[in-house]
Amino acid sequence: MNPIGFSTGAIALGDYSRALLLLSNISTTAIELSALRVNEIGPLIEALPALDLAKYQYISIHAPSSYLPEQEQGIAELLWAIPARFAIILHPDAIHDAALWKPFGSRVAIENMDRRKLIGRTVKELEHCFSSLPDARFCFDIGHARQVDPSMTEAYLILNRFSDRLVQVHVSEVDAQSKHALISYAAELAFADVARFVPEWVPLILESRVTPNQIQSEIFRALDIFSRPAFAA
Amino acid sequence: MNQVDLLAEEIGGNWPSIRQARSNSLETIGKLTESLEAFTAPDTSVVISGSLARFEMTPGSDIDWSLLLDGPSDPNHLKISQEIGAAVNQVARKGVGKEGTFGTMVSSHNLINYIGGEVDTNSNTTQRSLLLLESRCIGNAEAYNRVKRNLLKRYLSEDSGLWRASVENKLPHFLMNDLARYWRTMTVDYAYKQRTRGGVGIPLRNIKLRMSRKLIYVAGLLACYDCHLAFDDEARVEFYKDRNVPGLVARLHETLEQTPLEITANLLRRFPEHNDATKKLFDAYDQFLRLLLNDDSRNHLEQLHADATENDAIYLKAKEAAHQFRDALEEIFLDGRSILKKFTIKYGVF
Repeated sequence: MNPIGFSTGAIALGDYSRALLLLSNISTTAIELSALRVNEIGPLIEALPALDLAKYQYISIHAPSSYLPEQEQGIAELLWAIPARFAIILHPDAIHDAALWKPFGSRVAIENMDRRKLIGRTVKELEHCFSSLPDARFCFDIGHARQVDPSMTEAYLILNRFSDRLVQVHVSEVDAQSKHALISYAAELAFADVARFVPEWVPLILESRVTPNQIQSEIFRALDIFSRPAFAA
Repeated sequence: MNQVDLLAEEIGGNWPSIRQARSNSLETIGKLTESLEAFTAPDTSVVISGSLARFEMTPGSDIDWSLLLDGPSDPNHLKISQEIGAAVNQVARKGVGKEGTFGTMVSSHNLINYIGGEVDTNSNTTQRSLLLLESRCIGNAEAYNRVKRNLLKRYLSEDSGLWRASVENKLPHFLMNDLARYWRTMTVDYAYKQRTRGGVGIPLRNIKLRMSRKLIYVAGLLACYDCHLAFDDEARVEFYKDRNVPGLVARLHETLEQTPLEITANLLRRFPEHNDATKKLFDAYDQFLRLLLNDDSRNHLEQLHADATENDAIYLKAKEAAHQFRDALEEIFLDGRSILKKFTIKYGVF
């Protein structure tokens, strides 16, 4: 069974303390601390020593998804302060200067993008991203991949090509407006087509926007999808 | 180097008309891309089919196109398709066909969900089959690739026998049967057009049926055979035991991105025992394209009445090429000793 957990942003947007509180009684061993907006990253890193993250075997931080070129160096400098074992999740379209991220090596993980973006959506586009960050790892967003190609062929090709870089999987429905939502039945069927290509040790990070009473059922749903044998898909 | 040129190099073929038609096609596609790119978007693709998509364009070719829709409905799609039609007419020498199958909007929903049954109209079967067998996209290809992959996913995921461990030959029967049905549909529609349009132009239509229409069926069959032939025994068992539908969709999609001539050359290159027949096949096709590249002979065939073919020198030359093409196919698919014969007899005939 894959380690599983939530993105704090999916539970409480920028309020990671509230998200951690809501998750404290839920059986999860992975977590993604979300700082999608530029003004969230500084306070989050400052608060890290005080956060109770003891139960999490896998921790990642989602770097801001959009910022100005002149803000990039400051963001990168802040991220040097986080523990080396935390993966840093980066959107390829947010990168203005890859040279700032290259020294992070395998600590950064490039995420595949949704349909709105012009880069990072397909194998070909991701290859281009990894060419400037050759040591970076990979965060596979299965909802983004399904939105780009509902047949899940591109998802399969992406997993096939970048499996050796895979560090975590984002799981959620991604709707027509590119918003993260609860996993629908249609998404469940599509995800099941490629779930077997995600190794068992890879953490699943849920990005479904949930209310507190939906947290547990969404975890069960994701685990069910990713633990099905090939022929039940 | 494309597969046809590689084959030519390997077996000593010289097919200048195939090269010429390819060059014509690439030039026209370049012009269309310039004028049509602005009409495409992530949810809509301009799809061409026919000789241009097969890279077999000759000066008298028309340009069959459609606006493929794979997203929210938009009343402006009609205006967009009218603008596309006007832009294509600037490039094409002839208008699209009379049946109304092309030069219009096509919804992905019908293509993907209406396979078989009452709802699968002649137009739908044609558009679906040609999307797989002889299509190309101008400009943004997102919708085009999504629809093709989803279509292949339907054929492959619903093919129960394909994934059964006890089934040794891994051929996608659902897809193969639909392609065979389309080939027979084209032959029946030939008779229909002969009846409804009178005898003029029928000889050219007849030659096209025997050559280019037959070729797309051959390429479709070979693409299906490749689902088995692409693997050695061990790799095949491993691949199919996990019901790897997306993996097979990816493979078949890549195969079908080639033109029918390229698919045929690619597959037949693996069967050197058929080199003589393969050369004969491509020689015949080159001869067929030579006739169409020549304005005089093409115009002659276009104006020729079905009743006047018996002693017509140009028609007889075209017919000779068609017979050579047929004989070469028989040698490869029905008389040979390779697995192609086994598959064709076992699955392609009965």
